[in-house]
Amino acid sequence: MKNSRKLTILLFVMMMLVSACGGGNTVSGEDAAVTEPALPVGTEAPVVVADESVAGDLVIYSGRSETLVQPVLDAFQAAYPNVNILLKSGSNSELANALIEEKANPQADVFITTEIFTVQSMYQQDVFQSYRPAAADQLPAEFIGPEDSWVGITRRARVIMYNTELLGADEVPTSIFELTDPKWKGQIAAAGSTNGGMQAQIAAMSQLLGEEATQEWLTGMIANEVTFFGGHTDVRKAVGAGEFKIGLVNHYYYYLQLAEGSPVGVVFPDQGEGEIGLITNATAAGIVQGSKNLSAAQAFIDFLLSPEGQELFAELNYEYPLIPGVALHPEVQSLDEYRLADVNVADAALNLDATLNLIETVGLP
Amino acid sequence: MQRWKNFLQIPKRINISPRLLLAAGLVALFVAIPLVYIFFRAFTGGADVWIRLLQTRILKLLANTLLLTAAVTCGATFVGVSMAFLTERTNLPGRHLFRWMLALPLAIPAYIGGIVHLTLLRPRGGVIPQLLENWFGQPVPTPSPLGFWGAAFILTLFTYPYVYLLSGAAFRSLNASLEEAARTFGRNNWRTIWEVTLPALRPGLTAGALLVALDILSEYGTVALLRYETFSSAIFVQLSGRYDRSAASILSGILITIAIIILWGELRLQGQARYTQMDSQWRPASLLPLNRWKIPALLLVLLVVSASLLVPVFVLGYWSLTALLDPETLSSIMRSGSQTFGDYIWHSLWSSALAALIAVVLSLPVALLSVRYPSKLSKAISRFTQIGYAIPGVVVALSLVLLVNQFLPFLYATPLIVVMAYVLRHMPQAIRASESALNQLSPSMEEASRTLGRTSLQTIFQVILPLILPGLMAGASLVFLTSLKELPATLLLRPAGFDTLAVRVWIWAAEGFYIQAAPAALLLVLASALPLYFLLRREQIFK
Repeated sequence: MKNSRKLTILLFVMMMLVSACGGGNTVSGEDAAVTEPALPVGTEAPVVVADESVAGDLVIYSGRSETLVQPVLDAFQAAYPNVNILLKSGSNSELANALIEEKANPQADVFITTEIFTVQSMYQQDVFQSYRPAAADQLPAEFIGPEDSWVGITRRARVIMYNTELLGADEVPTSIFELTDPKWKGQIAAAGSTNGGMQAQIAAMSQLLGEEATQEWLTGMIANEVTFFGGHTDVRKAVGAGEFKIGLVNHYYYYLQLAEGSPVGVVFPDQGEGEIGLITNATAAGIVQGSKNLSAAQAFIDFLLSPEGQELFAELNYEYPLIPGVALHPEVQSLDEYRLADVNVADAALNLDATLNLIETVGLP
Repeated sequence: MQRWKNFLQIPKRINISPRLLLAAGLVALFVAIPLVYIFFRAFTGGADVWIRLLQTRILKLLANTLLLTAAVTCGATFVGVSMAFLTERTNLPGRHLFRWMLALPLAIPAYIGGIVHLTLLRPRGGVIPQLLENWFGQPVPTPSPLGFWGAAFILTLFTYPYVYLLSGAAFRSLNASLEEAARTFGRNNWRTIWEVTLPALRPGLTAGALLVALDILSEYGTVALLRYETFSSAIFVQLSGRYDRSAASILSGILITIAIIILWGELRLQGQARYTQMDSQWRPASLLPLNRWKIPALLLVLLVVSASLLVPVFVLGYWSLTALLDPETLSSIMRSGSQTFGDYIWHSLWSSALAALIAVVLSLPVALLSVRYPSKLSKAISRFTQIGYAIPGVVVALSLVLLVNQFLPFLYATPLIVVMAYVLRHMPQAIRASESALNQLSPSMEEASRTLGRTSLQTIFQVILPLILPGLMAGASLVFLTSLKELPATLLLRPAGFDTLAVRVWIWAAEGFYIQAAPAALLLVLASALPLYFLLRREQIFK
């Protein structure tokens, strides 16, 4: 047993050393897992002169997948080297609840979400303070919160991705309502009820079609033995590997999987006559009331809407920039070609609560 | 781990020390507040929420939770006892090595084991189904690690060591004369085991099984990962999904009620488990020859050891190596915000160590009171402070979020609230260890010290503490070990930038990035293996 003990200790020490070394040299900015042909941060973007006047802790609550937001945080860090970013990642709703809980005792400076319902609901709960970044004038009006409480950052569409080895382009469903067709039984993957993108889709559908039709669609999906994963990364990988023929995801998960060399295709659904149109949503951010580092929080929001920040989201994560003039990733299909579903976010809090009730009623995993 | 030796000293009846009583009472109060608060919130939760939950959730959750708890408890008892029997009572080849390997899965949190088995076994996409498909040229149906059976399988694999350790100790301490008597009356070897040995082990075994049951009730990570809904995971979803806390409080109240019933049974059995044997006549029982069963028995043990220890550690090691060798993956796992991997390690270590220290310090007055001044009251306080066993991490988090933010806002969103959750949840382990250490210390030492003019406080610090220090260390190691892997409370209570290794594993794994999760998971396992090693050595199980 002596040897094995030595080995254990040795391994432990080695891991500590490796991690300590690695921890020190991590200035390069890209994220490997999601972005295989990643662009190193700073090669395309204009050279930023480091601003040392903004300093201190910046507490960011982020509902975004950490792999998708860290490259932007790195670039921000490079531009503001004296800011110490404290990130708390979680689900939109988990962090939103924490923010409400903390209203009398605010902890966060900035809140980033993957969809607009949550930020709108935070506005209704008086969590945000007003801030109008200079770039806000270039944003489409529907992506600025009332009283400048939040701003949209990037846009994404809910699409159907499929495995091209298992399915021909003419066989793929062109509407999300075809996903409940028994011929796809057990062959579809989607994100589960704790996922912000899925919650927002359900909320949007309730608004477009009414609660009854949405409930019917959800029970149809469950009856069709759709596999619900915790997040979309599992979905895209499973479709890419041929575990499932079809996946319901945000558009960039299709491109991320394609970039890994998988045989996948995409359909932007519900474009036909009388269909609801493409459901889209936007990531958004706002500054929390009681923020203890307003200058850093404002600099961060400015950065998210700067050409550099927008380019990072577009290049590394295939998202649709909301600031005009920032180029789409060359592979991404422009949204101009599609008819979009018209969703109104004004009653967001009401919508979210009804959505959660609906999820519980149908027992969505 | 109890030592089943009866102690012959009858403690002198001294008047109970008011200071000690006060200190122990305060500890009990500290433990009680979250519990009482949750019950209060549950019963004032509002009829509409109760009705909504009763209609949609409670019955299904109750069935799911009880079914899983029962299945894993049975599975862990079966695996634990049979493994203990094979390594302790038969001439199994390599049994000295297997003793270690069968106990070590305690260092692997079940959710990490679950991540590994999920990757290997996932229907269609898992490593094994794909290998089989390539082999046979067509998909071969394999058991799925998802849902009820998957959760039961994986939780059994990583909780059986509780039963294994308890029954292993019991097997070893069993007197040969008991079985010899049975054989004299004409029982053969196997019937002796069935009719004499196992019944003699029953109190200890049941206690072990109930510990497993409590563990399953509070399990969050594994069931969430394998998408099997229990009370714990439903509370987590309610807590992170809705601002209205009454639903979470109601579910928590029900969960704690179930847990308290189980804990009550366990505490009763702890009392009865003091199985008496006269030390002077004790001889170890003889080993049973396996003969033609040798190979199947060896294969069975190898299977359990592989599934619960070798495969997870190998896979985590392989993934970690993959992650460390790929510069892009490496750089992505090294940071979150401005925090680096070193910060996660440091957060994990210091918060767990501080929790261990506080838990042991708080356990002292309770243990001193119940051991040196045995009475109904002191016993009740000791039992009551063990309630933490019955409060799942997610419920501790809920109560602390509500209480601290309301009454101690300066503590909110500091690492200290995380430490507080660890202490609340894991203090019972420290109390049991301290009580067992004090039980082995003769009161005559203290009397001598007092006779020589030391005050009672001086006696505690100069005589008692140095003597029971090894026992306290064992308690501290246990608290450290369990705090290190605590997931739901840390997830819900951590301030921004205070991610621990367990949180990092979860953040990556929940998104499906298993390779990125591996280095933190492997480190967590290794960091747990060290205190576990110390504990196992100390228990003198392994020589």
